[in-house]
Amino acid sequence: MKSIWENYKTDTAYDELMHSEFQPRPVSHRLCQYLNSLKKGDIDKRKIAAELAIMEMGISFTVYSDEGNIDRAWPFDIIPRIIDAREWRIIEQGLKQRLTALNAFISDVYDEQAFIKEGKMPGDIINSSKNFRKECLGMKPRHNVWANICGTDLVRDKDGVMYVLEDNLRVPSGVSYMLENRVITKRVFPELLQDIDIFPIDDYPTHLQDMLSSIAPHPNGKPQIVVLTPGIYNSAYFEHAYLAQQMGAKLVEGGDLVVTDDDCVFMRTIEGLEKVDVIYRRIDDDFLDPEVFRKDSTLGVRGLMRAWKAGNVALANAPGAGVADDKVVYAYVPEMIRYYLNEEPILPNVPTYLCSNKEHLDYVMAHLAELVVKPANESGGYGMLVGPHASREEVEAFRQVILADPRNYIAQPTLSISTAPTLCDDRLEPRHIDLRPFILQGANTFVTAGGLTRVALKKGSLVVNSSQGGGSKDTWIINMEDN
Amino acid sequence: MLSRSAERLYWLARYLERTENIARLVSVHMNLLMDLPKGVEMGWQQLIRINGSEQEFHEKYNAVNERNVTRFLLTDATYLGSLFSSLSAARENIRTSRELLPDEAWEQVNEMYLFAKDNLDTIVNRRSRVLFLNEILKGCQRFTGLLSGYMSHNHPYRFIRLGRNLERADMTSRILDLASLLLSESRSSEMRQYETILWINILKSLNALLMYRQTMRSRVQGDDVLNFLLLDTSLPRSVSCCLLEISDCINELPNHDGLPDKLVELEAYVQAIDTRQTTQLQLRGILDDLQNKLGGLHGQIAENWFLNTMAE
Repeated sequence: MKSIWENYKTDTAYDELMHSEFQPRPVSHRLCQYLNSLKKGDIDKRKIAAELAIMEMGISFTVYSDEGNIDRAWPFDIIPRIIDAREWRIIEQGLKQRLTALNAFISDVYDEQAFIKEGKMPGDIINSSKNFRKECLGMKPRHNVWANICGTDLVRDKDGVMYVLEDNLRVPSGVSYMLENRVITKRVFPELLQDIDIFPIDDYPTHLQDMLSSIAPHPNGKPQIVVLTPGIYNSAYFEHAYLAQQMGAKLVEGGDLVVTDDDCVFMRTIEGLEKVDVIYRRIDDDFLDPEVFRKDSTLGVRGLMRAWKAGNVALANAPGAGVADDKVVYAYVPEMIRYYLNEEPILPNVPTYLCSNKEHLDYVMAHLAELVVKPANESGGYGMLVGPHASREEVEAFRQVILADPRNYIAQPTLSISTAPTLCDDRLEPRHIDLRPFILQGANTFVTAGGLTRVALKKGSLVVNSSQGGGSKDTWIINMEDN
Repeated sequence: MLSRSAERLYWLARYLERTENIARLVSVHMNLLMDLPKGVEMGWQQLIRINGSEQEFHEKYNAVNERNVTRFLLTDATYLGSLFSSLSAARENIRTSRELLPDEAWEQVNEMYLFAKDNLDTIVNRRSRVLFLNEILKGCQRFTGLLSGYMSHNHPYRFIRLGRNLERADMTSRILDLASLLLSESRSSEMRQYETILWINILKSLNALLMYRQTMRSRVQGDDVLNFLLLDTSLPRSVSCCLLEISDCINELPNHDGLPDKLVELEAYVQAIDTRQTTQLQLRGILDDLQNKLGGLHGQIAENWFLNTMAE
């Protein structure tokens, strides 16, 4: 009988579980032992059990296509990704540090802009950012926190170092999949989870609720918290419903809310109008309030900005927080940490070339075929160039795109991002992965134990987005000290 | 509770009740046909008559036979009154109200939907159709049991009960409407010969045979069956019992305005019906009227609590 590990290659990138073809890393020793004890048919059965659970639990995401929206089952790989708790504690500190600095920066941007005045960053980066909302100038959200929920993408390069790839500060998604992945793993490998000391993750909804309560306009009593969704056709609808349910909050759509003349937000209930204190909004700034932003938005609530500015309702994340969710601004985060916190960054950035900078642009133009080029404000892995994987024609076409709008592009060296064993047909193959931990900041700061590991299921692919053939894995933070 | 959620839960319950009703109806009908000799005027067309969908059926199918009627009623996704359409609509409503219900409730409906979707073809064959229908009936019962055991009996729960009982009263009145045809003076002597079997099956289609025997303690006969299914206040599927449940929920809900009075009126109206004193024609008129009144009740519920008509 052939082993599921046959021909497993670890020479193309850092492998998270395997030191070499035959040698597991210490953290994955128990897992590998266990996998080897399974018969070939066994692993297939586990895989089928996981697929069945996903179908029955109705874990899905929506893909937009020409033929209409399709609700797809969540692609899940049953082999977990493992991180040593000792490493994780450092990453956790790094993430807290980063979000604290980012929030200090956003507060500054909408206040006196000292960071710019002191020459740490050119002012036109802010003025030309489409996520800078001048309507927010002078606002002071509670605890001076603008981005209450952040999803930060981490990747490990060949050198074994974890780099921050980007900070998602607008409406980051994926946390429900992180939680459901663990539920599925518990069903699929119950014997394994009992043996290994894995950090639990299912307290996230409680922390989310605590954080949202901590930003309520009137801290006494039980605030009325709602999750505002664009509706059933949004790709993350499953997550909106899931989080509302887990928090015992109400899931509302724009039409359920109304802002009265005294700038308070109410929802329409069977008992009449009921006041709302905190809105966890999963709608982009653009669509939030037709009175202020896009006039044609039917998803938002007319007057919501008025109510927020009057301090009668809390919005998480605060409007305008996206100004720091910009790949150009990203390049300045290490400097923000030094400036606002007077600390050295714990987690490194990926070296970033700003096409708006003449010298950087010259370098990018000369090395385009080696670089990854990304638009500053897109998410979902759209509109980017992966130089080494592109044809000469594609590279040349992209060159023109960059030159037409240099402010909107950044370039980074192509990282050799790490791999993890992934079940492909009947054996394991290395596939590239990233990690999105979720950080909550209100009165306190909280980081999920691990996060959502996304995996590029196509051989050699670096794109982990679920809309483009990516899947996900359960992420285990393992306490090695007691083992 | 959000008005939007109230509406969705109400419809969730109506659609699931409809799913269960169609399953029971088809299953009882198959049973009945096995007992009756060929040629008795109790064919498959009766089932499409109950739903008032003869016209739609004839636009889609030529012959009224077992194959076409079961396909139409059970699996035709283009017919909104079919079992599969109802189940799909129930799933869509629960998918958008997950935050109000225990996890298992969503999983139960989703599993049932996936089962139905994967087994649509099996209904062609009688034996596998029986299995299919049993599975659906069990699933609906599991859902009901699960909510009564896992969910607080709060406003969301009341809207579910409200939807379920309104749909149920409507279905019972439709079945009684069909049954009243059996009392027709012009019925054939052959039909009269098998009457008891027919009435027994009517009771079965509403899960009421055992309770009838316990309560009436007499042989099964038409007038008694009709009275029992209309007036008995403890049989879950009798019209009176459904109205009591509805009135119970309405009294507990906020802003019920004039609705409790309306229900007292409606209950009195039903209690005044005496099938022994009416001709078959009068009875049909009464049942028609009852169905209209139930429709009116739905309208008032929607106006009182649902989103579309809420004042700013």
